[in-house]
Amino acid sequence: MVRTGVARAQGRRGEIIAGLSERMLTLDPANHYSISATSVLRHVYDPLLDVTNDDKLVPALAESWRPLNNSTWRFTLRKGVSFHDGSPFTADSVVFTLKRVRDNSKLIKAFVYQDIEDVQKDGDYAVTVTTKRPFGSLPAHLTMLGMLPPSAAAGEEAFFQKPAGTGPFRFVSWTHGDRVELAANARYWKSGVPRVEKVTFRFIPELSTRAAALRAGEIHLIDRVWPDMVQTLKATPGVKVLDTPALEAQRWHFQLARETVKDPRVRKAISLAVNRDVIIKDLLLGYARPVVSPIPPGLIGHTNLGQKPYDPAKARQLLKEAGQSNLTLDFVLMKDLYPKQLEIAQAVAAMLGEVGVKVNIRNLEIATAREQRTAGNYDLFYSGWAHMPHDPDWYFGQWFTKAGAEKLTRFSDPRVEQLIAEGRVPDPKVRQQKYAEIERILWDDEPEIWPYYSVAIYAISDKLSNFEARRDYYVLLHEVGIA
Amino acid sequence: MRSYLLRRLGQAGLTLAGVSLLVFVILRVIPGDPAKMLLPEGAPQSAVDALNRELGLREPIWVQYGIFLRSVVRGDFGQSFQYRAPALQVVVERAPATIQLALAAMLLTVLVGVSLGVLAAVRRGTGYDYAGTVLAVLGQSLPNFWLGIMLILLFGVTLRWLPTSGFQGWSYLVLPSITLAAFPTALVARLTRSSLLEILGQEYVRTGRAKGLGERAVIWRHALRNAMIPLLTVLGLQIGTLLGGAVITESIFAWPGMGKLVVDAIFFRDFPVVQTVLIISATIFVVINLLIDLLYTVLDPRIRYG
Repeated sequence: MVRTGVARAQGRRGEIIAGLSERMLTLDPANHYSISATSVLRHVYDPLLDVTNDDKLVPALAESWRPLNNSTWRFTLRKGVSFHDGSPFTADSVVFTLKRVRDNSKLIKAFVYQDIEDVQKDGDYAVTVTTKRPFGSLPAHLTMLGMLPPSAAAGEEAFFQKPAGTGPFRFVSWTHGDRVELAANARYWKSGVPRVEKVTFRFIPELSTRAAALRAGEIHLIDRVWPDMVQTLKATPGVKVLDTPALEAQRWHFQLARETVKDPRVRKAISLAVNRDVIIKDLLLGYARPVVSPIPPGLIGHTNLGQKPYDPAKARQLLKEAGQSNLTLDFVLMKDLYPKQLEIAQAVAAMLGEVGVKVNIRNLEIATAREQRTAGNYDLFYSGWAHMPHDPDWYFGQWFTKAGAEKLTRFSDPRVEQLIAEGRVPDPKVRQQKYAEIERILWDDEPEIWPYYSVAIYAISDKLSNFEARRDYYVLLHEVGIA
Repeated sequence: MRSYLLRRLGQAGLTLAGVSLLVFVILRVIPGDPAKMLLPEGAPQSAVDALNRELGLREPIWVQYGIFLRSVVRGDFGQSFQYRAPALQVVVERAPATIQLALAAMLLTVLVGVSLGVLAAVRRGTGYDYAGTVLAVLGQSLPNFWLGIMLILLFGVTLRWLPTSGFQGWSYLVLPSITLAAFPTALVARLTRSSLLEILGQEYVRTGRAKGLGERAVIWRHALRNAMIPLLTVLGLQIGTLLGGAVITESIFAWPGMGKLVVDAIFFRDFPVVQTVLIISATIFVVINLLIDLLYTVLDPRIRYG
């Protein structure tokens, strides 16, 4: 009764039930790279920094941060914050969380933090992180890492059964494969947050079921709506559809060691033969945007290089010049991963057929497709890349360095590799300049085809207020209210 | 009887050992790397190799199988790669949802299937018979993913009588169990009809009627009891269909059971979970079919095992 009274006094009431497309596998913020787990766990744990929908890093548990030099970051921490178990948030929490993720190689996020040399506290409310090499994207990565109390070390298994973070909601229960229930943290450091007393995340992977639950009024919002479901949802009374340009660029990469596509003229010809407008307008019903750079707008480094032209005549000419008159390509898809991917691949096969290129579509189960990619058994691979954590360093480092790409695309270009290394410094001006240069090289060399930027579509009940359709596909309900 | 039982139990043990070996080998020869599926697409190869080592997947396959068998005997089915928790615990948490669904579907199958079959046989050639035939054909021919979605749209979205998905109470069982039971119910109805029709033509039925037994007693006590033998065999085999069909039904209804778990585990190459689910399912299948074989002796005292 008292709590309800307090909640009402703070204007907090009601419950929001969200239907997420992806199941959640862990309550450990360092042990996943799943978008749905990131969404759910962001309510329980606070990271040091948050990222806004327009890609700005803003304070969360760190009030400020700055580079001391190219390989040292200093974070000044927020005071007066408590974990849900009552223990205070201090520099010890940051030291524990960062050293744990670096040192425990079983954790899924461990590989990202291997460049951390040391984490030192400077009093109770400041931390200095030194790195083995420049790590300009560290603050961005920290938006995805919830801070843990050092007491978690005493028994991690028990801790992650009923975890305590500093987030706006306390963990209540998790029914595996079904739902996670959270209750408002009445002592949250940000005033007026959260606005509801309870949040439940249900995991409903099947889109038609997720949409039905929303239309039946059982849940209040769903993520990952496909374009062809939009009309049905828009026509449902009480349901609104929201969309926003996503952080994800579709990118179909070539196996660059294959004789078929080794010649840049062939790759250029294939790119020229793909009518991106048809894909965007007719197959994705307008829920995609034309690509003007490998990096989507808004991210550091984005440089508008203009849309890729559609010119089948030039494509034919280039193929002729390259001596590839009877070209056959293996186009590998990871089954059911991206909206309308099979239809799009079939359309692309027809488009390439117009210029004399035969396409074998191989729609393989995800694990098999990835295995084929590792073995190099493909010419073109249908894939997308969500530029997490709102920073292109990961994309460049993984796909355009020799070490990163050797079992993927076999890309290797010392110029690009050098620029990627130089772009790792904290200085945003240097990063912008280096990344712009990389993008120009890639745009010209076309080691990938960038067909479109994805659009993130959500459907919500009109009872919700203040819900923001996120471009990173996060479902964040801290500041969302319900009528 | 005892020697029969011992022999059957021995055979069951061999069957399960065979299942475990088969599942173990198949999982390891199909393409796909568990560490790659656990790590994000942008993880470096060194992280993939390190994680595979942590998961014990760099050992030769026979060494892995030996470790697996030794652990299983101790009741340890290994750690789930995805959940980082004991596989048995992960599966056991999901088992009640699947068992409830399978039991509800089995109950529906028996009640509706047998009733429809009896009605169609007793009222042969009437509207009841034709209606039963139509229902049976529909039940066997409608794919259950389609039927499930239609039921959700009608009873969940349009009429709002029943919840569309999830697992929070008895009302949540209705639509998934109808979806899952549709095929076996149709099968049982058709089988009951044909089996009963054959028996109703037997001389002992005529004798029963001649000595003044009521029609109800003739059908339910004498004819149906004899018709139950083939029916029981089919019901036993349907346990497999129900456990298999649960995979699709659970996906459609976001039902947190073993079916959905095993599909995800197969996609993500979570070997310990797949092995555990399949060994448990095979055990259930073997045990139920053994029980059904024993039930024959109750239904027909002439049957003796020695």
